Amino acid sequence: MALSLPLAFLFRHRFPLREAFLALATLPFVLPTPVVALGLLALAGPRGVLGVDLYGTPWLLFWGSVFYNLGLGLRVLLPSVLALSEGPYGAARVLGATPFRAFLRVGLPLLLPGLLGGGLLTFIYTFGAFGLPLLLGGPAYATLEVEVYTLLAYRLAFPEAAGLILLQVLTLGLAVLLYARLPAYPLAAPGLRPARRPWALALGVGLLFLLLYAPLLALLLAFSPQALASAWRAQDFTPLPLALGNALRFALLSLPFALLLGLAYALSARRRGWAEVLGLLPLLVSPVAVGLGYLLAYPGLRGSEFLLLSAYALLAYPLLARVLLPALRGLPPHLVPAARVLGATPLRAFLRAELPLLWPAVRSGAALSLAAVLGEFGVSLVLWRPEWTTLTLAIYERLGRPGALPYQEALALAVLLMALSGLLFLLLDRGARVG
Amino acid sequence: MKKLIGLLVLLALGFAQELTVLTHSSFSLDKALIEEFQRTTGIRLRFLKGGDAGETLNKAILSKAAPIADVLYGFDNTFLSRALEADILLPYRSPEVRNLKATLLLDPSFRALPVDYGWVSLNYDKAYFKERPLPKAPQDLARPEYARLLVVQNPATSSPGLAFLMATVARFGEDGYLDFWARLRDGGVRVAKGWSEAYYTHFTLYKGDRPLVVSYTTSPAAEVYYSEGKYQEPPTDNLFPELAFFQVEFVGILKGTKNLEAARKFVDWLLSRPVQENIPTEMWVYPARRDARLPEVFRWAREPVGSVRLDPGLIAKNRERWIDEWTRVVLQGRSPEEVRRGRR
Repeated sequence: MALSLPLAFLFRHRFPLREAFLALATLPFVLPTPVVALGLLALAGPRGVLGVDLYGTPWLLFWGSVFYNLGLGLRVLLPSVLALSEGPYGAARVLGATPFRAFLRVGLPLLLPGLLGGGLLTFIYTFGAFGLPLLLGGPAYATLEVEVYTLLAYRLAFPEAAGLILLQVLTLGLAVLLYARLPAYPLAAPGLRPARRPWALALGVGLLFLLLYAPLLALLLAFSPQALASAWRAQDFTPLPLALGNALRFALLSLPFALLLGLAYALSARRRGWAEVLGLLPLLVSPVAVGLGYLLAYPGLRGSEFLLLSAYALLAYPLLARVLLPALRGLPPHLVPAARVLGATPLRAFLRAELPLLWPAVRSGAALSLAAVLGEFGVSLVLWRPEWTTLTLAIYERLGRPGALPYQEALALAVLLMALSGLLFLLLDRGARVG
Repeated sequence: MKKLIGLLVLLALGFAQELTVLTHSSFSLDKALIEEFQRTTGIRLRFLKGGDAGETLNKAILSKAAPIADVLYGFDNTFLSRALEADILLPYRSPEVRNLKATLLLDPSFRALPVDYGWVSLNYDKAYFKERPLPKAPQDLARPEYARLLVVQNPATSSPGLAFLMATVARFGEDGYLDFWARLRDGGVRVAKGWSEAYYTHFTLYKGDRPLVVSYTTSPAAEVYYSEGKYQEPPTDNLFPELAFFQVEFVGILKGTKNLEAARKFVDWLLSRPVQENIPTEMWVYPARRDARLPEVFRWAREPVGSVRLDPGLIAKNRERWIDEWTRVVLQGRSPEEVRRGRR
């Protein structure tokens, strides 16, 4: 948050490439954790480009979590900052306040909901983090999530794992309740200010993003096509065609489930606040916990692909719904009554009047949930079966082995996954923005 | 005619038969041997690597309802009780059993058959200790100047790590082992997730910064073998045979297999002399067969005198508690007294 607040202030200016940077800030939403973790390793791991080894220190983790949450903070804060600069803040200045005093007495109180909201969201996401701490933390920096996985995968301690999950859900539930009680952010005022030195600003922001996204560049630098080729016909590990095929197949097959769930949920929650909080639950219960839950609840279904797909759908639909809800609420309220008066059945009114207007949001929501499933790590790991190995698991499998080749292959697979997610990201960005 | 078709079907089935073997990730055998098995039996082998030994066993247990493999290889005596209690294995008294060393037959129900054995042991980098004194007794490891040189594996996620923890339990007793570990912790011991991370990342021989590592008694021999002439004698050596832990690795046929006959053939093959004689230089453990000859390079591997054995029943009863207590003391920084008080 300390980084995203000044950044939000920068973004109220108009400068070259501003839109592109803003879009870039949402990139982490679609990047799978193994990709980011490998990027960080490629940059500052034991065999990193920089030549300093930060593995096993909290710094890599910290970097990773800034990587993931800076965009989030920016998105949440920007509307407040934009609204602020136009109205009350200007008034305070006119009435004679110094810039500092105006910020302290007028700016900060108005920004507080945004800061708290962004902070809570960051907390929620970081608290439930799994992939990064598992791959980067070492045993000393295990999070609750990693501990749950360890208990399960290495010790089969179901009761202890379930206990930890309960603790996690309670903590996150508290955070979400706080979040839901926050006053709504002010709506964005459209006006952007012209920057004094637009190019200098663009350069500065560009440098910051370059630094932030350096792990991805390091990943690209470390990429070798030979490694991709050897991963393709790997003997000791899951070969690339199987992993790629699985990842794509699962993403596409779970999409209809997620679409149906997301749409139904968004429609039912559009006028009911409690339903909205209820629907956030799957975001609270982490992927590892979802996997564990499925294992415990449906022992008979263990090994059936339906189990995996429904777990994916459960994780993906809240993302879809988060994009759909604002779009639904923003629809003109008289649209459906007008259609009904003109003789349409409720279904027809929805299909012909509402859905076309919602379409961009559906499309970008679908892309978001596709990206989420494509890069899914926690559930896949818990429910692992050899024939279900996905790209993320193929990366994880190679990471644990000694030697340069498996590591090279893991890097190559991560680049491939990054390219796929990036493609989805382009799709996503054409539609509505992530809300 | 019917008979002929039946025979053809049988043949086709025989050739198409695929046997999936779930192993830990250190599994390795000579490719020529594997191909010979496939050619003579018509059974195609697929090896599935499930991670660390304990992790692999758990994968087999978690997928019990819809087994992911026909045969499970690589769970050791520290996890034997879990494999037997989970009831995932079928009994099979292979004809090769009579050729195996009797001391290794730890499961009287013959659901788990011993394939190989070895010792987890401390290793040190000879070059590092050329000018400096080695620790003289296991207790010295807890002194800050040595603890900061040692890397161990987390017993919750690594089977050599668990074996070393058990060695300390056997050596220092239920009352003393936590004090020993608390002093190691205060002295700056490093904990790695698994064996390969400890050995290939943190060990000074591979450009790490820790010259003492928990590994196997055969690791020095393996260094010579893989050095391609670079080393005439091992660059590393074992330390403290009294802290070495005896480990046996087992194979078992998974319940629910549709290839019972093929699975039995595979187990027999694994215990046959050619495979057993291949095991030492592939996986760096000792063959379970009495009549298997050891390769020449094993002259660099010494059998530790006075190594530690723990009764399987004792392990079964206390394993989880030891791991828990270790985690509390070493990773969470609790005091041994507090943890011991929590036992009651």
